Amino acid sequence: MDDIGFILASWLITLGSIGVLAFVTLRRARQLAEHVPDEAKPWL
Amino acid sequence: MVSRSTGTTTTRVIGIAAIAVLAWVVVSAFFITPADFQQGESVRIMYAHVPAAWIAYLAFITTGITSGISLARRHRTLGFDRVAGASAEVGVLFMGLALITGSLWGRLTWGTFWQWDPRLTTTLFLFVTYVGYLAVRNIDGDPHRRAKRSAILALLAVLEIPLVHFSVVLWRSLHQEASVLNPDGDVRLDDMMLFTLFSGVVGFTLVFVWMVIHRQRLATLRDLQQGVGLDAAIAARRNEGAAIAGGGQ
Amino acid sequence: MDLTPRPTPESPKRKRRFVPAVIAGLAVVAGVVIIGFFLTSSIDYYCNVDEIGVRDGCDDTRRVRVQGTVDEGSLESRGSITTFVMSFNGASLPVDYEGEPGGIFQECIPVVAHGRIVDGVLVATRIEVKHSNEYEAENAERITEAEKSACS
Repeated sequence: MDDIGFILASWLITLGSIGVLAFVTLRRARQLAEHVPDEAKPWL
Repeated sequence: MVSRSTGTTTTRVIGIAAIAVLAWVVVSAFFITPADFQQGESVRIMYAHVPAAWIAYLAFITTGITSGISLARRHRTLGFDRVAGASAEVGVLFMGLALITGSLWGRLTWGTFWQWDPRLTTTLFLFVTYVGYLAVRNIDGDPHRRAKRSAILALLAVLEIPLVHFSVVLWRSLHQEASVLNPDGDVRLDDMMLFTLFSGVVGFTLVFVWMVIHRQRLATLRDLQQGVGLDAAIAARRNEGAAIAGGGQ
Repeated sequence: MDLTPRPTPESPKRKRRFVPAVIAGLAVVAGVVIIGFFLTSSIDYYCNVDEIGVRDGCDDTRRVRVQGTVDEGSLESRGSITTFVMSFNGASLPVDYEGEPGGIFQECIPVVAHGRIVDGVLVATRIEVKHSNEYEAENAERITEAEKSACS
């Protein structure tokens, strides 16, 4: 059935994009956090 | 050793909960919910499409509210402005996903990927507005001026949301009217379908909260790294420490 | 006194100012284009069958988008042409369409047909299915029920 391709694509794109944004966010945070003293981080 | 993460116990709990709920939604969407009497299997796209659209609305409304607060506060700290920005970023992601999944779903049921129909057009316009908003936020300059500029834009942009949501009632549209969030209050959904849809909304909300917390902290780091408010932040922490130490004596 | 070594701020990049400004500009252009498309394609997406030649903007002399339900038993395939009759509110309109309609096209389902009316027949160049906002589990009993309600 052709439909299944469209359905799978919808879900893969949805979950994939969420995963990619989460990954990019964490990686960028890691890079930046090194350059900022812990004292200045309000969440610690 | 400098902490290298924007994660805390709270975000970890939210993150794990989000993964667990979304795993359930996928299982239910593919294996538990029935095919629709009219649309057949393609209805399974709904459990990603509808929550994505709703969370995009939620994100843009959050941006509007936090922008309003950031404008109204006399002593401007950048906290609310950063939440506004983070929320808009996540909103743009979800709105984009709603457009893509909607287009795929439309191909299966309507027989077309895209039409300039009221709902689709207003949604695309909303998406483009917030892409513009994010671009404006990223034009460098004094962070306080940036905050003010983007807050005004956000308060204007949020007005588009009712137009998008009610476009299917205001005008004739190829897009079906709302099955849940409709003015007459009827829910036109099979029970299991409704439960799965609801789970999807919970799962995406958790993702939204997790993402906004992390991206807001990321924005803080970005500002701090460029030296914005670094002294103030450290002084605030020192005072906090002093107050605790003083209170203990 | 704070003696912690301070990380040197990144050198200001002109790129960071330029790229967002271009994106913001493009967003404005895109917004105008979208509104343009919206306005030229008439805000109401379709005319109902009974409004052809009656309602403003639903003249039978130009390209129209007509909404109606496919009549039961009217669907026929003649070579590459699909013909059916669509009705709404007591009025009917025969439709000729070159090709196989996509989506979940079937009898007793509301559709929007794009085309021009020639001698009382809508020569369609595009057919879209306007499905309802009701979702129910698929089973034989409900299919008959749905067909009944759609065609009654």
